Amino acid sequence: MRKLSFTKALFALMLVLLLALAACSKETEGEKPKDSGSTDTEATDDSGEEEEADDGLYSIEDFSPDTTNEGEAIEGGTLNFGLVSDTAFEGTLNWNFYGGDPDAQILNWFDESLIQFDKDYVMSNEGAATYEVSEDGRTFTFTIKDNVNWHDGEPVTAEDWLFAHEVIGDPDYDGPRYGSDFTNIEGMEEYHAGKADTISGIEVVDDKTLKITYKEATPSLLTGSVWTYPLAKHIFKDIPVAEMSASPEVREHPIGFGPFKVESIVPGESVVMTKNEDYWQGEPALDKVVVQVINPNTVVQAIETGKVDLVDSFPTDQYPENADLSNVEYLGMIDLSYSYIGFKLGTWDKENNVVKPNPDAKMGNKKLRQAMWHAVDNEQVGKKFYHGLRWNATTLIPPSHPVYHDETNPGREYDPEKAKQLLDEAGYKDTNGDGLREDPDGEELVINFASMSGGDTAEPLAKYYIQAWEQVGLKVQLLDGRLQEFNTFYERVGNGGNDDPAVDVYAGAWGVGYDVNPAGLYGHDAMFNFARYESEKNTELLEAGVSEAAFDVEKRQEIYNEWQEFMVEEVPVFPTLYRSLLVPVNNRVQNYSLSVDYNGRYKIAVTQEEPMVAE
Amino acid sequence: MWKFTVRRILIMIPQIFLLSILIFLMAQAMPGDALSGLIDPNLDPKEIAKMREKLGLNDEWYAQYIDWIKGAIQGDLGESFRFKMPVSELIEQRLINTFWLSVVTLIITYLIAIPLGITSGRFNDTWADRIITGYTYIGFATPVFIFALVMLWIFGFHYGWFPTTGSVKPGLEPGTFDYIVSKIYHMLLPAISLALITTVNTVQYLRSEIIDTKQRDFIITARAKGAPESRVYNRHILRNSLLPIAAFFGFEITGLIGGTIFVEQIFGYPGMGQLFYESILLRDYSVVTSVVLLFGIASILGALISDVILSLVDPRIRIK
Repeated sequence: MRKLSFTKALFALMLVLLLALAACSKETEGEKPKDSGSTDTEATDDSGEEEEADDGLYSIEDFSPDTTNEGEAIEGGTLNFGLVSDTAFEGTLNWNFYGGDPDAQILNWFDESLIQFDKDYVMSNEGAATYEVSEDGRTFTFTIKDNVNWHDGEPVTAEDWLFAHEVIGDPDYDGPRYGSDFTNIEGMEEYHAGKADTISGIEVVDDKTLKITYKEATPSLLTGSVWTYPLAKHIFKDIPVAEMSASPEVREHPIGFGPFKVESIVPGESVVMTKNEDYWQGEPALDKVVVQVINPNTVVQAIETGKVDLVDSFPTDQYPENADLSNVEYLGMIDLSYSYIGFKLGTWDKENNVVKPNPDAKMGNKKLRQAMWHAVDNEQVGKKFYHGLRWNATTLIPPSHPVYHDETNPGREYDPEKAKQLLDEAGYKDTNGDGLREDPDGEELVINFASMSGGDTAEPLAKYYIQAWEQVGLKVQLLDGRLQEFNTFYERVGNGGNDDPAVDVYAGAWGVGYDVNPAGLYGHDAMFNFARYESEKNTELLEAGVSEAAFDVEKRQEIYNEWQEFMVEEVPVFPTLYRSLLVPVNNRVQNYSLSVDYNGRYKIAVTQEEPMVAE
Repeated sequence: MWKFTVRRILIMIPQIFLLSILIFLMAQAMPGDALSGLIDPNLDPKEIAKMREKLGLNDEWYAQYIDWIKGAIQGDLGESFRFKMPVSELIEQRLINTFWLSVVTLIITYLIAIPLGITSGRFNDTWADRIITGYTYIGFATPVFIFALVMLWIFGFHYGWFPTTGSVKPGLEPGTFDYIVSKIYHMLLPAISLALITTVNTVQYLRSEIIDTKQRDFIITARAKGAPESRVYNRHILRNSLLPIAAFFGFEITGLIGGTIFVEQIFGYPGMGQLFYESILLRDYSVVTSVVLLFGIASILGALISDVILSLVDPRIRIK
């Protein structure tokens, strides 16, 4: 019996130790995000020894979007493409039905848009089809090139293109595409409502020529508003529209007219593609492309060991530690996105689908908003948190659109003194001597700040902003005292129209489309105008930006420069950081590029059979 | 025996029913829905609202529940919003992967647990025992998701002995010999990672059972009758100690469910666990409810199996 009790005692001891251990680990977990701000700075100091970046900071200007192409390419070869995602891909492999980005990454290899875009995001005539615009800018005539064929050898026809419009416009269509781009086509709404059997605005002139007439001529038509993906009618014509997206023609043996053909699919994890010898731009250089899902936690190892040659996206915060991997080259470009901080100025009128500004909103004072912009030092945020790979943003049109981004506009620079001065002018003064400002009526002012969780930097970043505002005497607190999960965050900020009155300030980010038109984010009838800001001048400028007159690029620039300036003055939201996009590519890969006008996947080649491995 | 099993199964039905209501309510309580992630100015909010209406997401929860349970009884679990395919088909695809992963994990679990448990129990308080119990305590304390990551890093990336992602090598013809070999090869590392952690329960269990049995009167009798030590251990002690382990089998299945969620995530292995996780993230309700229901049924079934095995090996339980 003595033995048994000894074991028991040992077990009890172990249990106590275990509990202590568990308690410890919990503590460290809680602490971690708090001081990762300082670990970031440490990392900056460490990487200071590297040769490329003496100060541990990087700049997007040092990256090229194209591969350098060193060495001699071999014939054939297999390319391994890593799809970085913590979810399986959906497998809706058709441009007309897909919903998620992982599917799009796969689609890019075996199907493409008939129309390509140039560096300024304007439709070009370099793609599989060319276009002409009529005098009034409303009618587009597209001509598909003769040698463009589907993977099964059938030619891609104007009929297929029309068919895509008919399917998306069908009331049974279950994808997310039908919207203002389509309702702008003449006769589309009648067709959608079932009042017409055909779409009156689309005409098949001959096998290869399609004419589409739009209701309104806008410069947006040239930058992505036209639906440029055909749907193979000879395959899909007998399938009911409601069943198309789930059909084996989409999921198991999808078809396209791109440089590679789908050979086999393992649902949710990988796709093998072989070259399409009949590709319209010429025979692809590679024999095979293998697309495989890899978990974001292991992406660095997968690249380091050459398991994948390139990936669709790479976590920028991992870059500084892996900047000198010997087997890869980093391609980079300015991302089509920006981070911002917004002020709630009203609510959403669900009945009329317009914003309903609230003149008495807590954040309604323009000077208060201006001051809050002046109070934060985004240049330092970019350096400390992102090693310079994100940097101070000045206006609401990011530099990824160099034609419309107003470089001469400095935005509002970091200037806490000016912030204080603005607050004083507006009557926000400390009347009770607690070091914090009260509102002009002498009431205590507490501002609620909603910020999203996710990533190690989310919390320190939110804390920084709160501190920076405290420095100028504003009491800002985190909404509910914690970060909000993605869905909750957007629901409370106003997605769906039920704005939570508890939110005063919020930090979000937007991706920007090819078209710069900001009306979808800041228009008076835009649900995503979460700030719920509206003014006559804003509406006027946004409308002018898509008017016929704006077909003239210089005129459009003028309009958008004025709008950017107006936003700097009004500050319904202010941009905080611009972002960069980095993608590592194995050294053996040639002719790959991130550029917008890149359509050369058929030219991608490798210089050796096996991927290079980091030394 | 049959009476007992039937009674047990009858109890299961209200259990599952209650579970389904709970699951449904919890899913409803989550903020956002399948469409709320579509935050993209290129999409028309009006169309999204229409789609929401079409999918019945605006209905009261009980209306949605009745719709769902009606279908579920007929074997129709609805349509996944995200995958645009019937949930039952989707689950079938994933279930096969998870099923085999669990089988391999269970086999490895017992392959590790039985010899370790026996050694540790028979030679308790020797160095071998201390090392083994030491391992079990470490195993108890180590979270699966960290351990799996470390295993992946060492054996997948550093040594390159195992594949690092997916359930099969891309491009193989299903059904061929290569395909099956590749499947097993892909399963090994996740299964080992999971088994090394889950096995510690069984080792501990077996160990204490053996130590306990060793002291029993009938063992003393056996020894007194002059039975050789090997016979005492193999025939008398081991057999009696294995009974509770067999009963524990059902609960092992339940434990595996929790483990696969992490392991599948880390190894990019498309099974039920991964499906569950991503469906929650993306608010694909029809999938979440179906998967949780299935997990729930698996747990209840596991408990049932345990009870049945227990009643088979221990007559006392049958007579209630």
